[in-house]
Amino acid sequence: MIHRSYLFARGWRSATPVLLLLPGFLLYLVMAVGPSLATAVYSFTDATGIRGIAVNWIGFENYDEFLLRGAASRDNIAALRRTVYFCFFVTVIQFGIGLVFAVLLNQKIRGKKFFRTLFFMPVILGVAIQGLIWKLFLLPRGGPAAEFFQLFGWTSELLGGQPRQAFAWVIVVQIWANAGITMVIFLAGMQTIPNELYEAARIDGAGKWQLFRNVTWPLLTPAVNTNLLLNIIGSLQAWQLFLVLIGYRPGTQVLGYLVFAEGFGQTSGSVASAFRQGYAAAASIALFILVLVFALVTHAWLSHREKRYIG
Amino acid sequence: MTAVETPQAPRRATEHRPERAARREPPRWLAWLKRQKLASYVILLVFAVLYIGPLLMLVSTAFKTLPEFFRNPTGMPESLRFENFTEAWNEAQFARYLVNSVVYTTVATAVCVVTSVLVAFPIARGYLKGGRYILLLYVIALFLPPALIPQFQLILNLGLFNTRAGYILLFLVNPIGIIILVNYIKAIPRELDESAAIDGCGYYRFVFKIIVPLIRPAIATVTVLHAIGLWNELVLAIIYLTNDDLYPVTRGLIAFEGLYGSNWPPMAAAVLILMMPMVVLFLFLQRYIVSGLTAGAVKG
Repeated sequence: MIHRSYLFARGWRSATPVLLLLPGFLLYLVMAVGPSLATAVYSFTDATGIRGIAVNWIGFENYDEFLLRGAASRDNIAALRRTVYFCFFVTVIQFGIGLVFAVLLNQKIRGKKFFRTLFFMPVILGVAIQGLIWKLFLLPRGGPAAEFFQLFGWTSELLGGQPRQAFAWVIVVQIWANAGITMVIFLAGMQTIPNELYEAARIDGAGKWQLFRNVTWPLLTPAVNTNLLLNIIGSLQAWQLFLVLIGYRPGTQVLGYLVFAEGFGQTSGSVASAFRQGYAAAASIALFILVLVFALVTHAWLSHREKRYIG
Repeated sequence: MTAVETPQAPRRATEHRPERAARREPPRWLAWLKRQKLASYVILLVFAVLYIGPLLMLVSTAFKTLPEFFRNPTGMPESLRFENFTEAWNEAQFARYLVNSVVYTTVATAVCVVTSVLVAFPIARGYLKGGRYILLLYVIALFLPPALIPQFQLILNLGLFNTRAGYILLFLVNPIGIIILVNYIKAIPRELDESAAIDGCGYYRFVFKIIVPLIRPAIATVTVLHAIGLWNELVLAIIYLTNDDLYPVTRGLIAFEGLYGSNWPPMAAAVLILMMPMVVLFLFLQRYIVSGLTAGAVKG
């Protein structure tokens, strides 16, 4: 168990590192890896959330019901499509805004620290506080956002409006909450770009746009990759702001929320209710496969692009 | 080497394809904008309003009476009234929620960090056979399916549903933390181990007396990363804790919202009360928090 290179006391005491490692490692196996793999197993059963009820193997029935033949399968497919929309809009806009923040705050500018702090702050607040803050801000009658839109003669129920509108507002809040991380990763990437490159390019007569296009952007590739992957994976799995902002409303559900609602009830868990955890496990495997496919395709595309840029 | 080559590459390209040179030129309006720092400030200020606006609304609501709020939700409060804060504090059991959150966060984070160091050190040093595969197992974890449902069945069957112990059990491992620690420990010279071993220092004492102080920045990063995630956790609290006495602040806040509904002034006060410690902590520990929340990301 112990490698030859181990330097400390030999004999029975050489078991110390293994003994000390075991608690953490076993916890990891039991609480994380095991349950992770077991999700696939559960997806083939009719498990409920009740203790002591027999669990039966039912094969692909959950998947069949979820995607093909169940009464809700059409809604489930719609939720799947919505998850992709959510991912698309959040990723594109958050990536863009994060990049703009980083570019603007990477120059010599007054209040740089203030802006960075401000834009990053929502990240640390957590969904409960993020959601409640925006629920108040988006108050349909007389709230600041409603008042603002009133100026253009547009009245709206905002979060309480059409499903599509409520959905769009969740996208806004999701971006507000997380653009700070994107910004910080871009800023970290920009700080690794050596100044000499800019000077050399400037001597060659490059303008600001050319500096960005030909120096910053190509050399920012690692940060671009990280941000894209993080945003895509994160937004495909995100659903908690839906819970806080609008609840389980038809026409707005995404896959992650569906898993929670089927497995544990729609808004708050209650003991020993007959929730369908096998079915929910199948839904979460579906989501997992979606994330995996998106991540792999993006990764392949990014490494192709990286080869073109850096070679 | 690239610095020498790059100036040539575009030139060659422009010789063959002149139309690309034209495309390299910025649009004229963009060039103008770039020259003015003014544009930068305008953009930043517009976004700053979007970021501050919701917070301002929160603060002003917290100081209003309910009739005042209904009459004029958006305007400034007529006077600074602190009744909402006392009402929120007394009506919901926020003192208890805070105690719960503090207990969960400190216990779970402490256990997580200590066990993580003990996992990370021998792996980073190669003291274990197959240590590389153990590390691989931690990296792979980031790509495994969600553990939500079997985890629930596990806790349920252990009889730990709706208990503090069960809830804490959910937060004792952090694969990203392990990866951060391993990378950091690798940068510490091995000669240190050798001389300590020669001097007869035991493994346990070496890890805690010599290594831990040396990797303090990494430990701070992991601690902050883990503690923030745990403090902000809402969904697991909803799933696992049904007893009001066990709620952490996030769950308590949502419960309070359920009771108070559209009675926003005390709601806003409650949100502010629970937000302030986070904001203050953030302003002081910004460096660690930012590195903690992005460290895992930059590695990937």
